[in-house]
Amino acid sequence: MQMPDPSFTFDGTPIPIKPGASVAAALTDQGHRAFRQSANGNARGIFCGMGVCQDCLVTIDGVPNRRACMSAARDGAKVETQVAFPSLKGAVVAPPPEAARILEPDVAIIGGGAGGLAAAIAARRAGASVVVLDERKVPGGQYYKQSTGLPPIDRQQQEGAELFREALDSGAEIIGSVEVWGAFDGPLFIADLEGRALVVRPRTAIIATGAYERPTVAPGWTLPGVMTTGAAQTLWRSYRTLPGRRIAVCGSGPLNAQVALELADGGAEVSVVAEAAAAPWHHPLAGLRATLLDPGLVRKGLGMLQGLRRHGIPMAYNTRLHRIEEADGALRMVLRDQRGNETSSIVDAICMNIGFEPQNEILRLLGADMAYDKTFGHLRCSRDEGMQTSIPCLYAVGDCTGLGGAPAARLEGEIAGKTAAAQLGCGDAYDLFAQKRSLKRHRLFQKALWQMYDVAPYSLSNMPSETIICRCEEITLGQITEGLSAATGHVGTLKRATRVGMGRCQGRYCGPISTRLVAAATDKPVDDRSHFAPRVPIKPVSIASILAAQEALNESA
Amino acid sequence: MHDVLVIGGGIVGQVTAIKLAETGARVVIVDAAQNSGSTANAGSLHVQMQSRFMRLYPDQVRNIEASLPFYVAAVQEWGLLDQKYGSFELVRKGGLMLAEDEGQMAFLEKKMEREARHGVSVELLDRSALDRIAPWLGPQIIGAELCRDEGKLNPLAANKRLRAAAETLGIEHRTDQILRLESLPDSVEAIGLQGRYRADRMVVAAAWGAGALTHDLGVTIPSRAEPLHMNITEACETQINHLVQHAERSITLKQFATGQIVIGGGWAARDRGRYEIPAVDHASILGNVALAAQLVPSISGIRVIRTWAGMNTTADGASIIGPLPGHARVVMAVPGDAGYTLGPLVAGLAVDCVQGSGLAAEALSFSPARFAA
Repeated sequence: MQMPDPSFTFDGTPIPIKPGASVAAALTDQGHRAFRQSANGNARGIFCGMGVCQDCLVTIDGVPNRRACMSAARDGAKVETQVAFPSLKGAVVAPPPEAARILEPDVAIIGGGAGGLAAAIAARRAGASVVVLDERKVPGGQYYKQSTGLPPIDRQQQEGAELFREALDSGAEIIGSVEVWGAFDGPLFIADLEGRALVVRPRTAIIATGAYERPTVAPGWTLPGVMTTGAAQTLWRSYRTLPGRRIAVCGSGPLNAQVALELADGGAEVSVVAEAAAAPWHHPLAGLRATLLDPGLVRKGLGMLQGLRRHGIPMAYNTRLHRIEEADGALRMVLRDQRGNETSSIVDAICMNIGFEPQNEILRLLGADMAYDKTFGHLRCSRDEGMQTSIPCLYAVGDCTGLGGAPAARLEGEIAGKTAAAQLGCGDAYDLFAQKRSLKRHRLFQKALWQMYDVAPYSLSNMPSETIICRCEEITLGQITEGLSAATGHVGTLKRATRVGMGRCQGRYCGPISTRLVAAATDKPVDDRSHFAPRVPIKPVSIASILAAQEALNESA
Repeated sequence: MHDVLVIGGGIVGQVTAIKLAETGARVVIVDAAQNSGSTANAGSLHVQMQSRFMRLYPDQVRNIEASLPFYVAAVQEWGLLDQKYGSFELVRKGGLMLAEDEGQMAFLEKKMEREARHGVSVELLDRSALDRIAPWLGPQIIGAELCRDEGKLNPLAANKRLRAAAETLGIEHRTDQILRLESLPDSVEAIGLQGRYRADRMVVAAAWGAGALTHDLGVTIPSRAEPLHMNITEACETQINHLVQHAERSITLKQFATGQIVIGGGWAARDRGRYEIPAVDHASILGNVALAAQLVPSISGIRVIRTWAGMNTTADGASIIGPLPGHARVVMAVPGDAGYTLGPLVAGLAVDCVQGSGLAAEALSFSPARFAA
């Protein structure tokens, strides 16, 4: 058999690798959508595209449960469909070739997106030593979505490349492919760097871990080919891979229209963009307010709608995802509008996004105060003007504190970077008036913007009881309802009774839903304590990596 | 008024209530829903003396040793419960306590002789014998003590099924924190944050909270909460049948029916008071998991997906069972070390006391009389 060059094999079939491709991108390019088998024998594939959902697991060179979306495709690798119960024999991992690293910077920044990079530049320029840790190979975060080796696709990606370059030039140490799995008082962070342990003991920490997407839960949402809108965008922007030829988008918010247009420009046939909210012209006041606050962004938004019209892609307002079914190797997406009319289309991939969930695990672990934001249905981290949380020397910026958008994250980063450095005796934080003024404007813009969408938590009461809520443990709405009647009180009790949230993603998708269901059943308001208890590891971590960290800390003691 | 008020809805309280309700008693359970040990338990069924306990509490070893027959009986009791209310995913394939050098082997040999005298089924295995039943052990392991009575179960399944059985029997469950107890001439009363609960008799199955409740009744029980750390991995093929421990170091390791490996064994978590769940310390996750990786190297490539912490209860090593001195209507039911294992057995002994047949002769040394002033 002639092997294309470079390539890896997937269950024996050769898969060509485009420069910089992830395993998930290379497989998607070849039309493979099912990557693993669940414990109940169901196929799963790429879903979040950012290392959160743990659904795109594959076995790589004998090592099970590697995330295809976060693993670079390597020439000659042997990639296999992940079985539910891998043999221990194949799971032996050689100790990492390089010793663990222990870093003690003035400022550690967790997350290299808009907020994190801006914070790094500000703190470093003030004279503090700075280390930035980012999950992806190339930092930039979910807004700037950088790629390895490909030229910037547009202004947004170009801006991210410039910010990254600026952060490097500032002298901050930026380390990619880092999974921070432990956050402890001190603060002390323990991370995995491709099997190698990384221990970080900074004087001050700035958390800039961003957000992940809230999906439109409906029957069939776990089928391979169904993914978050951001996952599809990463495939395209970072790897120039289309999630499929025929695509449909659903949910609510400006990202859906943007990505639909990007994919259509890239050659995909987008059948529809379903938007849960009414058309923007039904919110004239909010629209006017947004236009006054940021005419540029509003113009960009209108341009996107125009672009969709140019491609002949309909925007279906007041329309939600009803269910997804398998249909001859493709997917049938059934939408339902507010009058109950159903429409369906046959597609290869479905993109969904209906708001965001903050990645606030580190903040909650370290005990930072949170308050529940009903409008967005998620927790917001309390901070002072300088972005310091209720915990001394712990700062937080951007979407991990509650949704605010990339421009606000960048401003918050600047403010936090400068303030944190000043607190350590590097420079001062007096001259931040311009940033604070702009930030206020951005926040008002965000408020107006989201009034035009519908990302508030929606009722699941009309959903069939067999709808899966917990992707990992395959727990249905019916099982949760049954659990609610037997085990009331706290979502932790529900978890122990039903196994909801006990899987690899650690309750990131089912947790917020379960929390609200328990709150409704017990007639109590949602707050920080009504969520699953924050626990390490923040993300699943290999035992080999824990062993390496333990040896490193023992030696340094 | 209820016939029996059970304070504490963990494994002891639940089984006590079920056994009483089965004889027709009207039972109410009041549970504080705060840091219950049973809801955080990791499902080891312990019989052999745990090296961790012997090291930490040398003065209590005599009590533990005297209790050995009860551990054997307790696992048998679990087997009966599993048949009646299960499945609890109960497996009794035995437990291995590993040795890495001759000194540890000598320690195990001595321990084994003491345990055998109390009727525990134990045997010393060399490496070649180990290879036949546990080939996944690290090369440094030279032998182990095998205790055939030991096993494991899934406490989530057990708790859930027992709770369902209790509901079916009409047992009332209330969530409230009991602040103090009052012993009246014709009844007993518990005063909680939300209300007062009166019954003919009362069972205190409040684990680490027992001491605070009985203090005012003139009996000082030194019950303490000991927050412990646990880890669980993602699922893999089932290969580890035994409960695995170490002759000198703190660890329990086992594989659940789900394929997940649970690593625990008494590493400390940080107490944050009764209203907060204990915090996980970095030294415990690192030390505990690293030790597991050394003993079973083949797990190095799988991932830990969650850790948690729960309250173990310690007093003087032995169980505390029977009527409180001077307060015959108040029956104590607090298991000694490895409380989840002992839970159902302790519940049965407490039920005997509630029903008036008194504490079984072989259990007289567990009477709370030993703490009376």
